Amino acid sequence: MRELSHLPFLSFFLLLFALLPFLPLGIWGAFLLDVGFFIQLFTAMALSWDLVARTGQLSLAHGAFFGLGAYGAGLLAPHVGTLPALVFGAFVAGAGALLLGSVTLRLHGLYFAIASLAFSEVLRTLALKLAFTGGPIGLPVPPPFGGVWPLAAYYLSFGVLLLATALSHWAEWSPFRLAQAATRQSEAVARVLGVRVVRVKLWSLLLGSLVAGLSGGVYGMKTLFLSPYDAFSLGRAVEALVIPIFGGLYSTLGPLVGGVVLVGLEQALRLWIKEGYLVVYGAILILVILFLPRGLVGLLGRRRG
Amino acid sequence: MGKALEVIGLSKRFLGLQALKEVSLHLEEGEILAVIGPNGAGKSTLLNLLSGLIKPDQGRILLLGRDISHLPPETRTHLGLGRAFQIVQPFPELSVRENLLVGALFGKPGLKRKEAEAWVAEVLDLTGLAPRAEALAGELTLLEDKRLELARALATRPKVLLLDEVMAGLRPKEAEEAVALVRRIRDSGVSVLFIEHLMPVVRALADRVVVLDHGEVIAEGTYEKVAQEERVREAYLGRRA
Repeated sequence: MRELSHLPFLSFFLLLFALLPFLPLGIWGAFLLDVGFFIQLFTAMALSWDLVARTGQLSLAHGAFFGLGAYGAGLLAPHVGTLPALVFGAFVAGAGALLLGSVTLRLHGLYFAIASLAFSEVLRTLALKLAFTGGPIGLPVPPPFGGVWPLAAYYLSFGVLLLATALSHWAEWSPFRLAQAATRQSEAVARVLGVRVVRVKLWSLLLGSLVAGLSGGVYGMKTLFLSPYDAFSLGRAVEALVIPIFGGLYSTLGPLVGGVVLVGLEQALRLWIKEGYLVVYGAILILVILFLPRGLVGLLGRRRG
Repeated sequence: MGKALEVIGLSKRFLGLQALKEVSLHLEEGEILAVIGPNGAGKSTLLNLLSGLIKPDQGRILLLGRDISHLPPETRTHLGLGRAFQIVQPFPELSVRENLLVGALFGKPGLKRKEAEAWVAEVLDLTGLAPRAEALAGELTLLEDKRLELARALATRPKVLLLDEVMAGLRPKEAEEAVALVRRIRDSGVSVLFIEHLMPVVRALADRVVVLDHGEVIAEGTYEKVAQEERVREAYLGRRA
């Protein structure tokens, strides 16, 4: 199933999210809207992680990009308004990515992972110690657009998901995919074949970090409060990598399906099993990874490189 | 006729080992040159220096008259230097066609996608890989792997092609086909420098032979000429008692 025609799938998911606030869900409406918000945001994170992973860079810095975006947007939002603040947050995350990327150019796989982990830890410490971030007390963030529109945060997260899906789709169905796949499978061979490996890695990291930064910015506008432990959490990076592995790596559909199922599952389990829902969550995760090494979309057909 | 490739005083040292010592050689345009020598003579080091995967301690490399000594591998490829590896390294998760597309699309920047695809189709035909175009590279036989390695280098549209023991492991009949293929590639205007252990292949293919031993050029000339030289025989067979 080489040309897995996944556009109908993608469109279906996106349409569902776009219309969710208008579905007659009764008393479940508010809860499902919250679930939908987090599904969209963490799926966008997962797509942005996958975009970077396609070059063989295993990023543990996505929590840091998320945090940079969250703090960047949160600090600026009271002064310049919602959208400029979000763009600024994304640029801060992008600047962080370029800094990390330019010092880790020669690193690959696990070595890059360690460097990106260190990067993430350093930034959290900075957020704790610097004065203008509010330190350990945290940072209050105003709701988007002055709070006049209750669905604002939801649709902002929908926008981020839309952007992440579009980027990932472009990267998957353009020559960029071959450059990424070649870089991942052997940098030396890729270079000898003319692939500008450094550029491919930097661009991937930059694009991924912009989406992660936007996600962080929107997250702050939903929770209305940021703390270094929450915004720069390593758990965020882990979640961003678990979803693509669960759904299917190196594709757009994989993280999308993975995000909907996994984040949805987490929220549902949290509701049904008050005590120890994480045990069930973990067990399901392990089973899928054991029996579906190519993730949920592995059930659909052959993988493209 | 100009020089396709010129190597001037190239040296490389790995810790205590002098892998190459002031090696100078050249490849004429349209020529097929063999570089031979016993194991450890520095042949692979030479190829890695030429394609830019390692940096020389001294010396210069000219590609079609242009100094490429300090350029990264991808830029050398863009300027017309192609290379096939000894240990075949296909991208296993990509199809054969996609493997070639990597070379075609990125080997010459600015090439349109349509043009790259058309060129890949040509290379698939030329190398006999067309029936396997949609197979994953990870599923190929050794012979097909070898062809893919050569085809992928060809996909970058090289003016100078470096081949690292691409015949190793082939049966005599298969090697014969490969020799014919390399000739066709040369006839299409590509200069070829190849490393080879199989002497029948060297004899059949090479216009000229350079012999390396302990990182130095010890002989140069036609196959018949170098095969007669005492130093070459000693290098391969050991000194007579």
